[in-house]
Amino acid sequence: MWQAIKDRETGRVRSNSFANRFKSRRVSSLQLSNRKDFVSPHRGSVNSLQVDLTEGRYLLSGATDGSAAVFDVQRATDYEASGLIAKHKCIFTVDKQHEHGHKFAISSAVWYPIDTGLFVTGSYDQFIKVWDTNTAQAVVDFKMPGKVYRTAMSSMAMSHTLIAAGTEDVQVRLCDIASGAFSHTLSGHRDGVMSVEWSTSSEWILYTGGCDGAIRFWDIRRAGCFRVLDQSQTQLGVRPPVLKPPEVSSKSSSAAKSSFGGQNRLKTLQNKQTGSQSIKGSSSAKASVEKSRQKKLHPGMLSTLDRATAHYGVVTGLKATNNGMYLLSAGSDSRIRLWDIESGCNTLLNFETGRIQTNKAIQLDTSDDPALVFVPCMKTVKGFGMWSGRTTLMLRGHYESVNTCCFNSNDQELYTSGADRQILVWSPEGSMEDEMVQDEVAEDKDNWSD
Amino acid sequence: MELFRPHGEAQDFLFIATERYKFCVLQWDYESSELITRAMGDVSDRIGRPTDNGQIGIIDPDCRVIGLHLYDGLFKVIPFDNKGQLNEAFNIRLEELQVLDIKFLYGCVKPTIAVLYQDNKDARHLKTYEISLKDKEFVEGPWSQNNLDNGADLLIPVPSPLCGVLIIGEETIVYCSANAFKAIPIRPSITKAYGRVDLDGSRYLLGDHAGLIHLLVITHEKEKVTGLKIELLGETSIASSISYLDNAVVFVGSSYGDSQLIKLNMQPDAKGSYVEILEKYVNLGPIVDFCVVDLERQGQGQVVTCSGAYKDGSLRIVRNGIGINEQASVELQGIKGMWSLKSSIDEAFDTFLVVSFISETRILAMNIEDELEETEIEGFSSQVQTLFCHDAVYNQLVQVTSNSVRLVSSTTRELRNKWDAPAGFAVNVATANASQVLLATGGGHLVYLEIGDGTLTEVKHVLLEYEVSCLDINPIGDNPNHSQLAAVGMWTDISVRIFVLPDLTLVTKEQLGGEIIPRSVLLCSFEGISYLLCALGDGHLLSFQLDTSSGKLRDRKKVSLGTQPITLRTFSSKSATHVFAASDRPAVIYSNNKKLLYSNVNLKEVSHMCPFNSAAFPDSLAIAREGELTIGTIDAIQKLHIRTIPIGEHARRICHQEQTRTFAICCLRNQPSAEESEMHFGRILVFIVEEGRLQLITEKETKGAVYSLNAFNGKLLAAINQKIQLYKWMLRDDGTRELQSECGHHGHILALYVQTRGDFIVVGDLMKSISLLIYKHEEGAIEERARDYNANWMSAVEILDDDIYLGADNCFNLFTVKKNNEGATDEERARMEVVGEYHIGEFVNRFRHGSLVMRLPDSEIGQIQTVIFGTVSGMIGVLASLPQEQYAFLEKLQTSLRKVIKGVGGLSHEQWRSFNNEKRTAEAKSYLDGDLIESFLDLSRGKMEEVSKGMDVQVEELCKRVEELTRLH
Repeated sequence: MWQAIKDRETGRVRSNSFANRFKSRRVSSLQLSNRKDFVSPHRGSVNSLQVDLTEGRYLLSGATDGSAAVFDVQRATDYEASGLIAKHKCIFTVDKQHEHGHKFAISSAVWYPIDTGLFVTGSYDQFIKVWDTNTAQAVVDFKMPGKVYRTAMSSMAMSHTLIAAGTEDVQVRLCDIASGAFSHTLSGHRDGVMSVEWSTSSEWILYTGGCDGAIRFWDIRRAGCFRVLDQSQTQLGVRPPVLKPPEVSSKSSSAAKSSFGGQNRLKTLQNKQTGSQSIKGSSSAKASVEKSRQKKLHPGMLSTLDRATAHYGVVTGLKATNNGMYLLSAGSDSRIRLWDIESGCNTLLNFETGRIQTNKAIQLDTSDDPALVFVPCMKTVKGFGMWSGRTTLMLRGHYESVNTCCFNSNDQELYTSGADRQILVWSPEGSMEDEMVQDEVAEDKDNWSD
Repeated sequence: MELFRPHGEAQDFLFIATERYKFCVLQWDYESSELITRAMGDVSDRIGRPTDNGQIGIIDPDCRVIGLHLYDGLFKVIPFDNKGQLNEAFNIRLEELQVLDIKFLYGCVKPTIAVLYQDNKDARHLKTYEISLKDKEFVEGPWSQNNLDNGADLLIPVPSPLCGVLIIGEETIVYCSANAFKAIPIRPSITKAYGRVDLDGSRYLLGDHAGLIHLLVITHEKEKVTGLKIELLGETSIASSISYLDNAVVFVGSSYGDSQLIKLNMQPDAKGSYVEILEKYVNLGPIVDFCVVDLERQGQGQVVTCSGAYKDGSLRIVRNGIGINEQASVELQGIKGMWSLKSSIDEAFDTFLVVSFISETRILAMNIEDELEETEIEGFSSQVQTLFCHDAVYNQLVQVTSNSVRLVSSTTRELRNKWDAPAGFAVNVATANASQVLLATGGGHLVYLEIGDGTLTEVKHVLLEYEVSCLDINPIGDNPNHSQLAAVGMWTDISVRIFVLPDLTLVTKEQLGGEIIPRSVLLCSFEGISYLLCALGDGHLLSFQLDTSSGKLRDRKKVSLGTQPITLRTFSSKSATHVFAASDRPAVIYSNNKKLLYSNVNLKEVSHMCPFNSAAFPDSLAIAREGELTIGTIDAIQKLHIRTIPIGEHARRICHQEQTRTFAICCLRNQPSAEESEMHFGRILVFIVEEGRLQLITEKETKGAVYSLNAFNGKLLAAINQKIQLYKWMLRDDGTRELQSECGHHGHILALYVQTRGDFIVVGDLMKSISLLIYKHEEGAIEERARDYNANWMSAVEILDDDIYLGADNCFNLFTVKKNNEGATDEERARMEVVGEYHIGEFVNRFRHGSLVMRLPDSEIGQIQTVIFGTVSGMIGVLASLPQEQYAFLEKLQTSLRKVIKGVGGLSHEQWRSFNNEKRTAEAKSYLDGDLIESFLDLSRGKMEEVSKGMDVQVEELCKRVEELTRLH
C-alpha cells in the first residue's frame, strides 16, 4: 500500500487503477465481520436484500414471516463489547401486524431507484405493495394473479416508474407506480417466472427467467420478446477466422499461408475450446443489432428458437453485470451461466458451483469490477472469478441455506441472508481487529511500565 | 491527441479525445490564426467499464478510421467517409479484457489493428484484427504472436515498406510482422516513450524509466527485415514523450523532470554520451509535497516544492513577482529624487548618481575602488532641491531646480549656461531629455527650452488655465534624443494633455475622471507600440495607446497598483525597456505579446528609482526606500520565478522550521523495492537538530505504516494505517525521552491525510472521504464528531475554517464539506454536508494555507483567505474563499463569459468543471474558475461590451472587479 500510494503521488499509477486494485484486494479478502452486526428482526427465512442505489446507506430486507425491515449500514445504533462491535438495529419494520402488512412471505423487497422515499415489496399473498419509507405506509398496491416471486425496478429508468414482477403466472407484468395499474403484460414463458432483472445499459430492456428454464429478453417498447437464450448457442466460430478476400495483396496472403500464422491460429482456437475467458461476441452498434434481430425474429419467432432453454429446470436467479455486457443466471440444475448480452451466446464458462438451492429464487451479486460473482450455494456463499469460474472465496457462516447476496460497493462489504433468519456482514479483512487487540494490550503494558 | 492528414488535405488535422469521453478534430487556420473545429462529439457509452490502463486513441495511417479503446471489452471505430468527414461511430466487441496497447498497422488493405493484451494467466500476447467497415465487425487478422515478454507493454507500428510492429518488452525487443520475426535481448529497462527518426521507420529512439535514451535500428535489405540493433545514446530527463524534430534535434517531454531539447551528436563526448542538451523547459510536476514560506518576512509567500521523481527529483522555489538582488546600500533619509548621469553622453556606463533632498542635492560617484562616494559637480546648484537631471547632447548635463535650469559640461563640470525662472514664479515640475527641457512654473506657465552646444533657448511659453501636476517628454520616436510630443498632467480639471513640440500646441485632452490628480505621466513604447502611462495619487494607473503622429489616445485601461502616489520611470534590463512604478507596492510594467503586464517587485514601499548602470554594478537600479538607498540588479522580468535545486533523489516530504530558517526534506533513493501488501510495522523517529546535524533521540515502533504526522497540542498525532494515534512526549526516569501513546481512534480504512485546528482533527481517508474527530482533554480521548458518508477516495485535505473542510479526490475533483452545527439530532450533526463540488482535472497532492502575493493586511484583498495546492502534473493553483457578494457577482460574470468564450473544439466549460466520479456527475457548485474569469481581460473591446451588456454592468467596473481578483495570485 505504501508503495502504491507513493506511485499514485508521482502519477506513475493512474488514480483509477490504483482505486480498482485496492478495491479488488479488499473484495478478495472478505470474511465474516466481527465488527458489524445486523440485528435481524425477522422470524423467518430472509428472502431479499438490497442496499439503496442513491446513497448506498439503507439496507432493505424482506422475509418469509411477511416482514420487511430497513437498516442503516453506515451508522450503528449501538455498540457492544466496549465499542468494538457495531450493532445495526433496524430503523423500522412492516410486518403482518401492520394494517397494510403482507399476509404471507415477502419474496422480494426493492428500493425505488431514484430516492429512498419509496420501496416495493412482493409477497406470496399475491400482492405487490409500494411503501412510503418515511411514514411506513403502503401507498399503492397491485393484485397479482399468483404468488409474487420477484420484483425489479430499473436503475437506469429516467422516463418510467415500472415494477417488473415475476409470479406464479406465465405472464410477466409491469406495474406502473405512477398510474397504479399494469402497463404491460409480457407473454412468452410457459411456466411461472422466478427471476426478473432490468438491463444495466438501457432502461427499456428487461430480462426474465422462468420455471420453464428459459431466459427471455424484452424490449418493453415493442411487443413480444426479442430473444430467448439458448444454452447450446455458444460463440465458437461467430467471428470469421482469417478472411482472404480476393483482392488481398500477395504479401498478406503469403502470410496466411505460412505455417507460422496458421499454427498460432490453431492455438488460439484450442484455447477457446478449453473454455478460458475468451468470449466471442458478434457485435456492432447496439441499435443496429437490435434492428437486424428484430427483422430476423419478428414477427413469429421460429418455434425452435422460442423453445430454447437456458437451464435444465428452473431459472432461479438473474444478474446483469454493471458494465452492461454480461448476464449471469442461476438454475435449479445447479449451474451458473455467463451470457454475452450483445450476442445472446452462452460463454460456456464453468463455475464450480456444487449444489444450488432449487426450489427458491436466489439473489446473485457481483463485485464492482466485475471480477467476482457471489452465489449462494446452500449454506455457503461462494465467490467465483468472473472470467475463470474458479472459486476464490468460500464464505461459511450461515446455519441454513443462503438465499441472497448483496454487495455494497461503497464499502466493499457483502451482506447475505438465509433461512437461518440472519443477515450476515462480510467485510474486507483489515489487520484492524487483531491489531486493535494487540494495541490495547500494548497500551496497557506501557501504562504499567510507567 | 493525434495528428493526421486525410487524403487530399494540405494540412494536418489534430484529433483530441478527452478523459470525459468527448472528442474533436481541429484544424489550424493560417489566415485568421485560429483553430477551426472540424468535428466534435461524444464517445461515451452506457455499457462497459472504463479501462484501467488508460484510454487509447489511434488513427489509421491511411486515414480510414479513428479507433478508440475507452472501455474494457469495447473498441470504438469512427470511420471517415470519402470526403474526409467523420461518420457515425460504432463499437466492436474486443474479447481481450486486459488490453495493454493497440496500434494500427501500416500497409494493410483494410484498417488493421495489433492488440497487445494479457490473458487470465498473466501471459502477454499479440493479436491482429482487420476492421470490416461493412459488417461493423472484426475479422481475425493475418497473424498473431503468443507468449511475449512479460513486461511487454508498448507497440510501435513500423511504416511501409517494412510494415509490421515492434513489441518493446522489459528484456527483449521483438519485431513482428506477417512474414518475419526478429528479437533481441536488451538490458532490463521499462521503456516509457518512443520517437520515430526516419519516415521509413528504420530507426527509433527509445526512452526508458531511468532516463536513458537508446537508438533502435531495424536493419533491412530492401523490404526484408534482417535484424535489430540497439545502442545507448545517453541520458536525458525521464522521457514520457520523444519527438524527433529534424537535424538530430529531439524534444524529450518529461513528466518527472524538466522537458529538454537535445541534439544527438555523431561523435560521443568525453563521457561517451551522444546527447547534448540544448534547452530545458521547466516542469514542476509531479509536486508531491510543498510548503509555503516567507523567508524575507515581508508578507510575500514563496512555495518550495518537492518536484520530479526518481533521478529527476528536485526542490523548486517558486516565487511570484520580481526580486531585487541587493548589491549595496547606504542609509540616506529623505530622498526626494534620483537621477543617474554619465560623464560623457557616449559612455556606456553611468558615473554620477544625483540624489535630491528637500533642501540640498548630493552627487555620488563611483571612485577607483568601485565605491560610491560623494563628489561635486561645480556647475550644479547643490543648496537646493533638484527637480530633474539629465544627460544632454554635446557632453553636457542639465539640472533643473526650483528657480533655474543649469547646463553644465560633463567633462569640466563647469556651468555653461543658465536659464532663470521669472521672478515670483518657481518651477514646480520639470522634465528633460538629451536635447529638450520642459518645465512648469506656478500659475500654469509651461516653458519649453531646447539645449544646444552651451546654449539654452526658451523656444515657447504658454499659459495654461490650471496648474501643471506632472509632465514628460521621454522620446518615443526614432530620435532617442528628441521628442515630438509632451504629456502634461493637470490639477483642477484632472486631465492629461498631449502637446506637440516645439510649438506646444494642444492636440489631445483626456479627462481622467474622478478627483485624484495625476502624479506622474510617462511616454514610452513597448514592442513598437507607444503608450501613455498616467499614474494617479491613489495608486491607480491609467494606460493609453498613443498614436505618435496625431497624438491621439485610445484603448484606455485602468489598474490599481497600490494605494499611494506612483512615480513612473523607465529602465532597461536585458535590452528591453520596462517601466518601474515606485509606490507602496512597487511594480514593473512590461509588455508581452503586445499586452501590458504588471508584475510586483518584491520590495515594500519604494519612493524613487532610477537605473544606475555603472561599471561596478552593471544593469543595476538605484532604489530609494525607507531611509535607505539600495543598488541592486533585477530578476528577469516575468511573473513567476522558479529556482531549481536538483537533488538527484526523489524528494517526498518537506517542512520548514521558521525559527532556524531550515528545511527538512525526506528523500527516497531510487531503488527497486518489493511490493508489500500491507505494512504491519512502521516506526516514528524523533531527531534533534544540533549544529546542523541530525541526531536520533528516540524511536517508536508502530503497528502499521505511518502516513501522516502532525504536531497537536504539544503532542504528536500520527496516522497509522486504520487509526489515528496521539503520542505524548515523556521524560523517562533516566533522563531520556520517549513517545508514549495516549489515545487513539479507529475506524478508518486507511487514514492518509490529517490536518488539525485547535482540538479538531480532520482525517482524509483512502476511500471514505473526510471525517472530523475531536480531542477531549478531560477524558484524554479522541472521538468522532462527524463525517462525510460519500465514498470519495481522498488525495488531500485541508481545513478552511472552523466549519468548512476542503478535500481533493481520486477522480480529480475538489469538494468542500461543512460541519453541521445546527442539526436537530445527533444523527444530523454527525453528517457533514457537501457544500461545494468542482472538477479540477488534476490530481491534487497537497493543500497549504498561504499566498504567493504580497498581502497587505489593511487592504480588502488581505482579508481573503487563500489556499495553495500542488498537483501531479506540476500545477500550482490558488483557491480563494471569496465573500458572498463577490462570489455572486463573479458567478454571473462566469456564466456570461461561458457564452462569449467558446472552448476549443466546442468543448463545454460547464461540463468540464462539473463534479464527476464513477457513480455520479453533478454540476459544479460553490467554485468558480478564476482562469476563465480572468480571461475577460484578454477579450477584445467588442466582446467585453457583449459581456457587459449581458450583465448590465459597465466594462470598466467589470475590468476593475476582475483585476481585483487577479491580485489574489
